[in-house]
Amino acid sequence: MRVWRAELSKLVSLPSVWVAVAVGLLIPSIIAGITASAARTAIARGREAAAGIDTGYQELAFGVIGVIILGVVAISSEYFTESEDSGGGRQITTTLTAVPSRLRLLLAKASAVAAASAALSVGAAIVTMTVVQSMLGEYAPALSGQDIPRLLGVVCYWALTALLSFGITVLVRHGILPLAVLIANTSVVSVTYLLTRLTPLANYLPDMAGIRMFIRDLQDSSADIAPLVGGLVMAAWTAALLAVAAFVFCRRDA
Amino acid sequence: MLTIQQLVKYRGSRRILSGITFQARPGRVTGFLGPNGAGKSSTLRILLGLDRASAGRALIHGKPYAELRRPLSTVGAVLDGSGAHRARTGRDHLRWIACAAGLPRSRVEEVLEIVGLADAASKRAGRYSLGMGRRLGLAAALLGDPELLILDEPVNGLDPEGIRWLRSLLRERAAAGGAVLLSSHLMGELAETVDDVVVINRGQIVADGTLAEVVGAHRTLEDAFFALTAAGGGVS
Repeated sequence: MRVWRAELSKLVSLPSVWVAVAVGLLIPSIIAGITASAARTAIARGREAAAGIDTGYQELAFGVIGVIILGVVAISSEYFTESEDSGGGRQITTTLTAVPSRLRLLLAKASAVAAASAALSVGAAIVTMTVVQSMLGEYAPALSGQDIPRLLGVVCYWALTALLSFGITVLVRHGILPLAVLIANTSVVSVTYLLTRLTPLANYLPDMAGIRMFIRDLQDSSADIAPLVGGLVMAAWTAALLAVAAFVFCRRDA
Repeated sequence: MLTIQQLVKYRGSRRILSGITFQARPGRVTGFLGPNGAGKSSTLRILLGLDRASAGRALIHGKPYAELRRPLSTVGAVLDGSGAHRARTGRDHLRWIACAAGLPRSRVEEVLEIVGLADAASKRAGRYSLGMGRRLGLAAALLGDPELLILDEPVNGLDPEGIRWLRSLLRERAAAGGAVLLSSHLMGELAETVDDVVVINRGQIVADGTLAEVVGAHRTLEDAFFALTAAGGGVS
C-alpha cells in the first residue's frame, strides 16, 4: 500500500502525466463537440434520421491516447537518462533501492497506472457525454440503463490500454518508440484495423477486441464478438504481456 | 558491515569482475579506488541489488540487499547523478521516496536542510547544477538515517566547500559506528578521508588494507595507486 501510494505520488508530480490527463479529457470532448454539431445540422435538415448509436463512444475510443501517454511515461520516466553534465543518472536506481522487491514494485506501479487511467476515463466519459448531450440538444440519444455496461466498457478499455502501453514500455525501457507506435495505431493509421482486412483473426488483437465492449456499430466488421468476450480477450492479452514484462523486469540488470 | 565475496560479473561474454573479495568495516571509511571502467560501479550496483552477479555474493549485514527489512534505514546509496527525474522538484522526489520507505514527511525537510537544498527544494531537479544534483542524491541517501553509506564517486561535481562538507559528514558517520564505502578515481580527495583502501583494476582487487599499508613505501596514495594499476595487475 505504501509503495502504491508512492507510485501514485510519482505520477501526480510528473508534468507529462498532466499532459496525458489534458489529452484524455480534451481530445474526446472536442472531437465529440465537432461531430455532434455536424450531426445536429444533418438531422435538422432531414439528411439523417437520428444521431448514431456510437455518438460519444467513438470519440472515447480515440481519447484513449491520453492513457497511452500515461502508461508509457509512468515507466519511461524511470529509465530517462540524464545528460553527462548532470551525472548521467536514472531514477530507476533510486526506485529499486527504495523498493528492492521488483515484483512488488511492478505490481504497485501497474495498479497505480490502472487506477489513474480508470479515474481519467470516468472524467473523460462525463465530459464527452455532457458535450454530446448539450450539442445535440433535443436530438441527443437519451442515456439509459443500456449505457451503464457500455460506459463500464470504456473504463475497462482505457485501463487495459494503459496497462498494455505500460507493459510494452517495461520491455523496451524507452518512451518514444511505444508512444509513436501506439498513438499512430490509434489515430493516423490503425495497423490493427488494416490487419482485420487481411484476416478475421486480427479482430482478436487487443484493441480490436476490446473496443467491442462499448462500440456497437463497427464498420464492415469481419467477425462477430460479444462485448464481454471482447473485454476478456483484451484482458487476456494484457495479463500475458504483463507476465512477460514482470518476468523480464525481475531478471535483468536495472 | 559490507561483505563482498568472490564476485564475478559478465556483461555479454566480457568478464568485468573476476572474483572480487573485500569488506567495509563498521566505524571506518573505506575507499574503493580504481581507474574508470575498473569495475567499481558494477560492484556497487550488485551490492545494491540493481545488477545480478554471475557468481559470488555481496552482503549487507550478512544479507543480500533485497532481503533487508527496511533498506533505506539500513543503507544509504548515491550512484550516478541525482537519481531524480528532471521534471520533478527536489522536494517531490524526496517525498515519494519517504512514502515508499514509510518515513515521515517531516524527514524530507530535515534532509533538505542537512544537505543545504532547502532553498532550492521547489526547483525541478533538471535545473539543478551537477553539485546540487549530488546533494539531492545524498539527501535521498540520508532520508532513513542509515548506519551504512555507499557512495559512487561522491566528490564528482561538488565544489571545494561541498567536498569539505561531505568529508566531515562521512567522518561523523564512521565515528558513530557506521560503515562508509565510497568509490573514486580521484586520489587526492580520498587520502584525507579514508581509513581503509581497496584498489581495483580490470575487475581484480590489487590492494586491500589500511591507508598506511596500501601507501606502503610509496610517497603518497596517488603514487601507490599508479604503481598498482599501471601494470594491469599486481599483488594483493
